Amino acid sequence: MNASRRAGDPIEEYVAELTGVLHGPSRTKARMIEEMRDGLADTAAAYREDGLPHDHAVRRAVEEFGTPEELAPACQRELTVAQARHTARTVVLTAPFLVACWYLLLPAGSGVEPLGPRTVQLLAVHLAGVAGVAALFAAAALAATGGLARRLPLPHRLPLAVAWAGTTASVAMALATLALAVASLMAADWPLVALAGALAAASHALTAPSARAGRRCALLLTPQPVATRVGG
Amino acid sequence: MRADAVRGHLDGLLLAVLEQGPLHGYAIIAAVQQRSGGVLDLRTGTIYPALNRLERLGLLTSSWDAVGERRRRCYALTDAGRSSLAGERAAWREFTTAIGSVLNPGVQPRPAT
Repeated sequence: MNASRRAGDPIEEYVAELTGVLHGPSRTKARMIEEMRDGLADTAAAYREDGLPHDHAVRRAVEEFGTPEELAPACQRELTVAQARHTARTVVLTAPFLVACWYLLLPAGSGVEPLGPRTVQLLAVHLAGVAGVAALFAAAALAATGGLARRLPLPHRLPLAVAWAGTTASVAMALATLALAVASLMAADWPLVALAGALAAASHALTAPSARAGRRCALLLTPQPVATRVGG
Repeated sequence: MRADAVRGHLDGLLLAVLEQGPLHGYAIIAAVQQRSGGVLDLRTGTIYPALNRLERLGLLTSSWDAVGERRRRCYALTDAGRSSLAGERAAWREFTTAIGSVLNPGVQPRPAT
């Protein structure tokens, strides 16, 4: 183990405390924490080069860094936005599966031979509509939290709205899975319907955990002080 | 200078020190302190979420680079970042001119060009 990561090291204790209070996408959080650990280690090394004893150098680096309570709100804000973007990307990528289900179970009168019973067809149309609206909202949220945020302020409740859009899409995907499973029992071309059900199930499995994490992160969000903001 | 007074200008400070080339987190802090002659009292940890946000906004890019014997996340300005820095400088000049006009009423501000 690296000497700077041994137990009892003020830097490791500091990093552990910050890690415990932050929530967000694991890769983004790990990267942020790793950078902060490096920054603390570099600051302590610079003080050692200036002649301070190791313990004093580390203590001073931690003091200058700001307490976890001071830094956590700004870090959590970024992690919450990162989680919202993760959820939005998942919805944008998976919602087309439900639209594909709509095509598969085309309603009567469309001129194409439908694969499932009429009730399932209607349900599929509605679920595809819900997923489509959620996907459009998610795409808008991706733009609003990306380059567009340079010109427009980020609505404080947007991450929570994205999380609920993801939740709605995941529920629609779960219902679609159920409907397609039932339809596959009655459809003549059952392997195709069962495949659509499997795609809907996979979409639900990707979207639901991300939306749940997004709701949790959004609840940890504190309003951003106006003075610190330039576009974000 | 107090940390809360610096905080409102943090984005501009970070963009400015990256204008000359890519830097990693500690080097950015050192550059801010060195350029300010040690006057700016910055909670050094505050730069990390700020760098993350500037990257999300497309004003910075980052990559893991070897710095000495270790790997460091290095940040570089994008074209959008350079434009934003120019805007920050213009806003700062306008602000200081306006405040200067109030604090020193006898001194006429130079007309904007």
